[in-house]
Parts: sequence; C-alpha cells; structure tokens
Amino acid sequence: MENFTFTFPATNKIDRFAHVGVVGSGDLEVLMEPSSDLQTEVTIRTGITGFETTWEPLIQRFFTQHDIAAKVKINDFGATPGVVKLRLEQALEVAANE
Amino acid sequence: MSRTLLKTSFVESSGRERAHSILDDQSYKELLGPQDNIESPHLEPQGIVPQSDDGVVVAKGTINEHPAIVISIEGNFQGGGIGEVSGAKIAGVLELALKECESGMRIIPVLVFDTGGVRLQEANYGVLSIAEIGAAIVALRRYVPVIAVIPGKIGAFGGMSITAGLCSKIIMTRGARLGLNGPEVIEQEAGIREFDSKDKQLIWGTIGGEQRTAAGFADVLIEDDADAIKEKISSFILEDTVYSPRTLQGDRYETLLSLVEPEQRLSANEVRLLWKLSENEEIKEKLPSLESDKSTGRGQTWFDLLRADFLEIGDIPSVRVADGMIGEKKVRFIAVVPDNQNRFPRARKGEVGLLEAWSIAKHVRNAIKADQNSEKRTIVAIVDVPSQAYGYHEELLGIHQACAAAVDAYASARLEGHPVISFIPGNAISGAFLSHGMQANRLIALHDEGVNVHVMSKQSAARITQRTLEELEIATKKVPAMAYDIKSFEKLGALFSLVDGVEASSPEKKDRDIIYKEIDRAIEDVRTDNSRDLSGRLSSSYAQSGGRAASILVREKLREQWK
Repeated sequence: MENFTFTFPATNKIDRFAHVGVVGSGDLEVLMEPSSDLQTEVTIRTGITGFETTWEPLIQRFFTQHDIAAKVKINDFGATPGVVKLRLEQALEVAANE
Repeated sequence: MSRTLLKTSFVESSGRERAHSILDDQSYKELLGPQDNIESPHLEPQGIVPQSDDGVVVAKGTINEHPAIVISIEGNFQGGGIGEVSGAKIAGVLELALKECESGMRIIPVLVFDTGGVRLQEANYGVLSIAEIGAAIVALRRYVPVIAVIPGKIGAFGGMSITAGLCSKIIMTRGARLGLNGPEVIEQEAGIREFDSKDKQLIWGTIGGEQRTAAGFADVLIEDDADAIKEKISSFILEDTVYSPRTLQGDRYETLLSLVEPEQRLSANEVRLLWKLSENEEIKEKLPSLESDKSTGRGQTWFDLLRADFLEIGDIPSVRVADGMIGEKKVRFIAVVPDNQNRFPRARKGEVGLLEAWSIAKHVRNAIKADQNSEKRTIVAIVDVPSQAYGYHEELLGIHQACAAAVDAYASARLEGHPVISFIPGNAISGAFLSHGMQANRLIALHDEGVNVHVMSKQSAARITQRTLEELEIATKKVPAMAYDIKSFEKLGALFSLVDGVEASSPEKKDRDIIYKEIDRAIEDVRTDNSRDLSGRLSSSYAQSGGRAASILVREKLREQWK
C-alpha cells in the first residue's frame, strides 16, 4: 500500500460533502469535503504500488481544470486513470448539486 | 421516464443504493456513513486500503411508512467480509432497534446480505461480531420479524449464512447463493472429488437461490427488481402473523436428514423431492451404531469427567448430553465428539455437522421446555471442535441452517434465564464454535497449547486471501485477532476466565474440581449481573483497554446518531 498527498491553491468553495465509488476491484472511493482553506488537499491511498508518477499529472490536471477548495480523500483499489477521472467528476457533481 | 416500464436491478445496485431502494424516499437516514469516516483500524497495518464506511450501510427510515432499519453489506469491498467495524455497525444498530422494540416500538430490521462471511484479515473480531449479530436477531425476533434479502452477486456465506438462517423470512434471487462453506473452501478442505469449485452447475444446484427456495432453505425466489423486493419485504411486515423460523422446525429437518442415504451422492432434484416428502413422513429411527469406538479426545474426556456418574441422554454418538450437578446446581453438559461411524463421513472427526447441530439444538430446547416453570438449569457447552463439517451433502442439506438452529437454541436459553457457560478445553474453531459455545453468557478456556480459537485453517485462509502461508504468519503477528492461540484471543476480552494449571489432555479429579469451581463462579457471575445478552464481552477489562476499542466506539457513535 502507498500513501501520498498533493496540494494545490484554490478559491472556490464546494457546497457540500460528496462521496462516490467503492474500494473494490478496479474501482476507488472519493470523499470530497468543503475546506475553508484556500487550497485543495488530495490524499491518496492505493493498494497498487509504484504509480505515483501516474497519479501526479492526473490529479494536477483535474484540479487545474476545476478550481475547488476541498479536502479530497481517495481510497484506491486499482482503478485505471480513466476511472479515477470519472469518479472525481462524479464527486464534483454531487458536491455542487443536491 | 416511466418507472413502471423500467425495472431497477437490485443485484447491480451498490449496497447504499439497495438501502435507498428499500426505505421510503424522504425517510432515509444513514448512520455512520462515509462522512463519519470510521474505517477499520486493522487493514492499513496489513497493507490493505480501508473504506470510509467499512463496507456496511446502516440506515433508519420507513418501509411504506412502517419504521424500519436496513443493513446493507457492500459486496465489492473486501468481499463483504465482516470485520470489527462493519460487524459492530450491524450488531450495534440491531441492539438499538431491540431496545426500541423492548419499549413497545415496532421497528423491522431488514438485512441485505452480500458477504463471504468473516473478513479473514480481522478473523476473530468477525467471529465475535457475528455472535453478537446472531444474539441480537434472536432477541429481536421475539418482537418483530427479521427479514433477510440475499440478492447476489456474492450471496451469504460463512458465519453470515448462519445469520441468514436465524431470520424469520429469507428472500433470494436466482443469482444468489446461500451456504456455510464456499466451494473453494470445501475443495481445499475435502478435496476436488468432494466438491469441484470450478463446476458452476454443481454450485448453483447446491446453494443457488432457486435450489434453496425449492429445498426448504429460503421462502421466496424473486426476480431482480428493486420495487418488487421492497413490496415483498413490505408484505412480510404488514402480515400480522407470527412466523415460525426454520430454526424452530427441527423435526422437519431431522425427518429430511433421516430420509437421506449419505453413501450415495444425492442430486439437487432428489433433495427437493425429499423436502416435500419430509412434510408428512415420520422420522425413520436410525439406531445409533453401538460399535463406534469411544473417542479419546478432550471433548469426550472432559464430558465424562464433568458429568461424573450421571446418565447420558444424547441420541447420537457424536453429541454427548448428560444432566449432572455442580454442588447444588443442575447442569446439562453438551459435548460434540468424534464418531468414526457417523452416517455423514465428513463429520467423523468431531466436526459440527448436520446431525450434530440439530441434535444440540434439540437438547438445548428440551431443557428450556422442561424448566419453563422451575429452576433454570445451567447449560455447559464443552468445546473441543476442529471445525464445521466440510462437504457436498452438508451444503446441499443446509448445514448453515443446522448451525443457525444451534445458535438460536443457545441464545434462547440465555434469554430465558438459563446460565449458558462454555468450557473450552480444546479447539474452538469458526462455524463450529459459533454454533457450539459462542452464544454463552460466559466463556471459560484452559491456558494450554492445545486450545486454539480461529476462523479457518491456515491453508484455506491463505488461499482465500491470496497470500502465501509466510505472508499470513507475518500478518498474524501484527493483528492479535488473526492469531490462533488462546492467549491472543484473551486480549479481545470475551473470556470470563483463562484457567492455568489444569491438565488439559488427561485431567484428574483435582482438575475437575478446579473447573467445577470456575463454572460455579461463572454461574454466580451471570446471576448477579442479571443481563441476558452478550454485553459483558464489551465491558470486560481487556475489551475496555483496547481489545474491542473499535466495537465500543462504533456503538457509542451509533447511539448518538440514532436519536
């Protein structure tokens, strides 16, 4: 198992807590919590080791495109980058809409 | 969009979606959801990524305006395995519902199973939790029906199949499976000729939803439609009838077993026919074979020593029963022992099999009935059980249901006020221990190398968790709940006492007197404590000082959010 954290400056607060996905084969769980700090903090735990360099650009691109101030937790069980992006988008949708 | 034309698949839904679809839209209130983030503390140290809800959704609400709780297991997280947190969520919310029912409310518990049973990475925590879940269900059933839904894809296995067997009604889809031992485990333990885990047809014909419904182990075979499932649950709530759960239908299941010739491999269809037949047939008396060699195992040795000169009243050679005395107290001793002539070959080494579990249930029930208006005798389970029986016939004929009957009987005795004491001079393993011993008010074990408590043989556990034996040994050192020795089990706080200085294998009179004293002390403790549930396991000093930290925390948080 590996752990890493990325932080990015941010300005827009999200409306509410969001939770999507499951820590199951090829999938992941995303938790998004509003943060009063002007930044996004993304904490990733993954069972698949050795892919930090794949995560970094993926996460960076997503949070460059979406300026949100939030605490984001990712619990990963071997999701592909496409699935990661999809789950993050879903979480964002839940966090913005009722 | 017309909802009437488009069915929502219940099977394809997540655990949380399933809970939503059962409860009325506006009523849904989840307890200890993802935002509370109570994860299992035992997974990360083993290099496994935890989940924010530990794979169990518990929600309060209404079903067609009737107050209910829904417990829905997420099968995609760790195979729906029950660990300390997920187990405490299930047990904790059932205990809260029970409290309300005791004070006159009518809250219907619905359990949606999608689980392989105990989460092997948390082993004995899972077993303890499943015992507590079972205890709560038996207590709840005195007030309300408890409904089980087994939708698939995983089904209900291991200790959780026993849990399903305790429920008032079981609803299954065609894609659901219900069985004590999974196909891989049977193959590992009994060989590929006993059960080929790659043979899909064999699996569905043994434990699939259609077979289970046709052979007397489930009530309803339902299509995979969320609305239909909700309506079916609702119909069970509204019907103002008292259900007789399968666990109380021992005569019928005993008749079924008496019709079977285990030498020949039964087919799925034959079981369906025999089940129909068993409704009207009388039990064929099978005389216990007298030439069985008497076991020299610890179970038999201690049984003979403790019962002293009192007569045996058991009806099969593998379940020893006698009414004895400890001082002035009436005590019924029950032990499961090897019988090398057992009709079911997979249960000849002292395993808890079909006949054994139903027989235990019968003898505990008899005592409850006999003592209805008199002193409630103590029931002592003498525990030296290597495992439940692993076999094709065992699954086909519903060993999970037999085990549930034994669990139910012990739990009912406890609830009726009988002191139920487990004395563990040998092995206490998985489904066998759940059925014979785990429902006791108090557990007494010998401090001896030959006393082991665990969930599954190391070989099987390694196979199921896809680890090598070496990796498993390393993990065992980090998590006491995974260890097999009694000293590690003690740290979890469930033992009333761990007795030193007793000769475990060839005990003498002085050893017996020590154990008599311990049992007597346990009986007195039960009488002064007055509680008839298993809460003592969480208030013990080991449990309080960290042994059950997560179990206690989860219950506290649930209580806060329940209101």
